[in-house]
Amino acid sequence: MPDIRLSHVSRVFGAFKAVDDITTVFPEGTVTCLLGPSGCGKTTLMRMIAGLETPTHGSIRFGERDVTHLPPGKRDVAMVFQYPVMYRTLSVIENIELPLRRDRAVSEAEVRRRADEVLEVLQLSGERRRHIGDLDVGTRQKVAVGRAIARQCDVILFDEPTTNVEVHAKLALIRAFKEFRARLRQTVIYVTHDQTEAMTLADQIALMQSGRISQCAPPHVMYDQPESRFGGWFLGNPGMNFLSPRGQDGQGLRFDVLPGALAVPANADGELSLGIRPEHVDVLHEPAEDTVPARITRSSITIGGQHLLSLAVGETRLKAKTAPGAPPGDGSTVFIRCRLEHAVLFNDGLRLPEPVRRAG
Amino acid sequence: MSSVRLQNVSRHYRNVRALDDVSVEVASQSLTVLCGPPAAGKSVLLRLLVGLEQPDQGRIFINDRDITDVPAAQRRIGYVPQSFALFPHVSVFENIAYPMALQKVGRAEIERRVDQVAEILRIKPLLTKRPAQLSGGEKQRTAIARGMLKNADLFLLDDPLVGLDFKLRESLMEDLKDMRAELGATFLYVTSDSLEALTMAEGLIVLDAGRVVDANAAAELYHRPRHLRAAELVGFPRCNVLRGVLEAGGLCRTGIVDFRLEQPTNFVGEVAVAARPEHIWHRSDGAPATIRLMENIGAECVVYFQVGDETLVTSVPSPSVAHLDMGSPFPFAVSAEGLLVYDRATGALLGRGQERANA
Repeated sequence: MPDIRLSHVSRVFGAFKAVDDITTVFPEGTVTCLLGPSGCGKTTLMRMIAGLETPTHGSIRFGERDVTHLPPGKRDVAMVFQYPVMYRTLSVIENIELPLRRDRAVSEAEVRRRADEVLEVLQLSGERRRHIGDLDVGTRQKVAVGRAIARQCDVILFDEPTTNVEVHAKLALIRAFKEFRARLRQTVIYVTHDQTEAMTLADQIALMQSGRISQCAPPHVMYDQPESRFGGWFLGNPGMNFLSPRGQDGQGLRFDVLPGALAVPANADGELSLGIRPEHVDVLHEPAEDTVPARITRSSITIGGQHLLSLAVGETRLKAKTAPGAPPGDGSTVFIRCRLEHAVLFNDGLRLPEPVRRAG
Repeated sequence: MSSVRLQNVSRHYRNVRALDDVSVEVASQSLTVLCGPPAAGKSVLLRLLVGLEQPDQGRIFINDRDITDVPAAQRRIGYVPQSFALFPHVSVFENIAYPMALQKVGRAEIERRVDQVAEILRIKPLLTKRPAQLSGGEKQRTAIARGMLKNADLFLLDDPLVGLDFKLRESLMEDLKDMRAELGATFLYVTSDSLEALTMAEGLIVLDAGRVVDANAAAELYHRPRHLRAAELVGFPRCNVLRGVLEAGGLCRTGIVDFRLEQPTNFVGEVAVAARPEHIWHRSDGAPATIRLMENIGAECVVYFQVGDETLVTSVPSPSVAHLDMGSPFPFAVSAEGLLVYDRATGALLGRGQERANA
């Protein structure tokens, strides 16, 4: 399997830079999720890798092979689209076998073997004789995945394949994806705007913003150590809190949410903000070491019965997640402690490398 | 005071009962979420309130006034429909201003209010554009702005954020809550997303197959749903439903957990036990199970695991399961406290569990 090497790849539409000078390598045999909001360039980047779009500048190589100007059919890529493209009057097995039969190099026995294999991996064996038109969208999409895998291309591209699939079928599809990853090691590019899907499926996430890759890292690194405020905001449900300092004195940086001061990092020359995720803000009913009082302005139940609290401390607004159980009501006062070992400091929106430390 | 009151309202289409004898109230100046599966009757209920359809039976009151026979044009209700139609030939500004222009609001006032709502929904730079120049999300925000601008104290929002980017939804949810508080208005808000429902709701109304299965303050309904379907339809991840038997003497057996009810009941027979994800946790000396799928949300990981031929779901802090994957053993324990026990035949709540009888 080849890696995918992008060198100064751009795609310009009129005055709009959809993809802006991207140089990176997506390692062989891994799953890279291109993640980002609408209009960030993720789909355009994938379409250039597929050969459906030609870069305005730059080159794309699969391993040593330059594919920049090759049409899709000559690249050895398979694609799964948002809407499964299928022969509706043919059966599941026929849909999977048909593209293989077009390839004269694949023997009839091999066609059958591969088709049987993907049906088994995707748990579609029971569906093999059914017509595509009789299946729900989720199962159809599973067949589309099967067809792409069976071609045994070096590279498989997924363009938001679960967007139009209802939630149960989506889980089945994600499970099927994981199953086939455990058996076959193609190089996969998976485009999504859904952070949960990216965190669940990716070996590395390439987080995109305004035509560029803002960070490319394994999911937990991306989550714990975002290199930019954008990354901290985009991952997480809800995203990271960003807290501005109240000021700086002889001791260090002062924040509404901290009783003491923070040491001023060496190269902090821009606008500073403290990033901390809602689950790293402890909420206590009594004052304790390192706590400050905060007022609850809003609360709701969230994932797994936890409470999502909106809090006000002076001018600072932040969110905290607390364990299931009865929360204090809106308007009441609690005591919060920011777990600084999980916090990061951003300088003009970019993370400073050294850990966050208390002054003195 | 209630802003909206439905009294024995039914709406049939041929032999389909879209709404079946619905009586429910929406508290004034609240954000009440109407939730339920597809085809539960959510949109029909909104259309009856707006006046786009008439009930076959029953009365509808708004601010305690019977408006059942009042024509749509005379009801002062803001409405953001699920599928929005913008006028293609005029600007975003004119699209948003249209309902106010119909109400003969002065130009200066229109400009002030369009400006205000455009600011909140972050579409100010788009006001001079035509709808064809907008992305899907921008069109949707334009439609929300138009619905929100009507001079009204009741607003109906039919799944306004569906299909938008996750992060855009997150911020618009906050904005809509702020907007409701600022206007001092009542919002009746439909969504099919269970996390969105919990995030938005002060009050919840759960519709299922044309009937209200429960309606209550959000926290109350979450912790003590009065019908099995309400337990199933409210909460994220979805709650687990175990088959069980309630024996004489009040012992409930499910095979996975046996426990007693807080309050005695005379019921004996087959029950459904609702166990929310937070009632189930990962414990090294727990009952054996195997992971089928893990979904990483960020702070939490949703774990689907297999016990016998049942798949259960829980959510746990991500770092605690970082070393696990599909196929890993997942020993678990169930807390009896807070489990909800329902009559399996009718779905009616029988009681809640208390700490385990045979622990």
